[in-house]
Amino acid sequence: MTEQELVYGLQNGEELAFKELVTRFQDKVFNTSLGLLQHNADAEDIAQEVFIQVYRSVKDFKAEAKLSTWIYRITVTKCLDQLRSKKRKKRFGFVTGLFGADNKPLYEPQEFCHPGVQLDRKEEAAILFKLIQQLPENQQIAFILNKIEELSYREISDILNTNESAVDSLLQRAKQNLRKKINELPP
Amino acid sequence: MNCPLKTEGFYIKQHLNKSITTKKMKSTDKSERILESLTGLQKAGAPDFFYSRLTARMQNELLSKRKQIFILRPLFVTSALFAVFILNVFSIIKFNTLKEPETTVQSSNTATIESFVSAYNINTESVYE
Repeated sequence: MTEQELVYGLQNGEELAFKELVTRFQDKVFNTSLGLLQHNADAEDIAQEVFIQVYRSVKDFKAEAKLSTWIYRITVTKCLDQLRSKKRKKRFGFVTGLFGADNKPLYEPQEFCHPGVQLDRKEEAAILFKLIQQLPENQQIAFILNKIEELSYREISDILNTNESAVDSLLQRAKQNLRKKINELPP
Repeated sequence: MNCPLKTEGFYIKQHLNKSITTKKMKSTDKSERILESLTGLQKAGAPDFFYSRLTARMQNELLSKRKQIFILRPLFVTSALFAVFILNVFSIIKFNTLKEPETTVQSSNTATIESFVSAYNINTESVYE
């Protein structure tokens, strides 16, 4: 099925087209969500929401950008919303308390390592993921899309609606910030 | 002339420079190691039965929407409004019937107050005369 046929099928509500869409993009969407959210259950939840959103709004898709670009944009937006929502909940932790009624933590600590990281690099990767969370949002997105999803500068610039030099600048600043934070770590 | 202190100082300085350089190299190595830890990363795949779970969720959301729509159906809304109207009418009638005995209670209360006032000469005219 070409992209055009896929979009046509989706706009006509064909289940086969929707199944094809999910099969084609589920790994990309999940991997991106996992890199940004650093939580398996959240990543799956957001991935589902992305496809539900695509299903609902495919009629408004005008094919000005590629279907993959559009889907990545929705994924990034939903992930950012989720991250902001989590930060808001943490900020109000002093009011709600950090533990629930049965003494279980309401806010899970972020000890994440991507399942695809090589075994001998897991420790360093865990540190890196923790530091990535401290980057500004746009640097975080550019870094994850480049390093985890292995997208080109061109693809990232389409998703972020900017140009390739801006993407390069974002990645350079992200690496600088990460180096700075690594050097501030205790030995 | 050889100055042993100067030579010693020179060696100490060299040793310090070397250790600072080694530290810098180590930290650069460390930061590079951490930054390059994602090299060769294998992309994560969606969990098993992702499509089935997605369609199940979409069906659940559709069902809950249908329930909401049922609540907004014209017949349901009309019946609910009618029931509220009947209840209001009933409450008004009941309220009115409850109001009537109050006048007899009030008049008996007034009689009691008047007899009390006259018995004890409490009216204000007598106080200020």
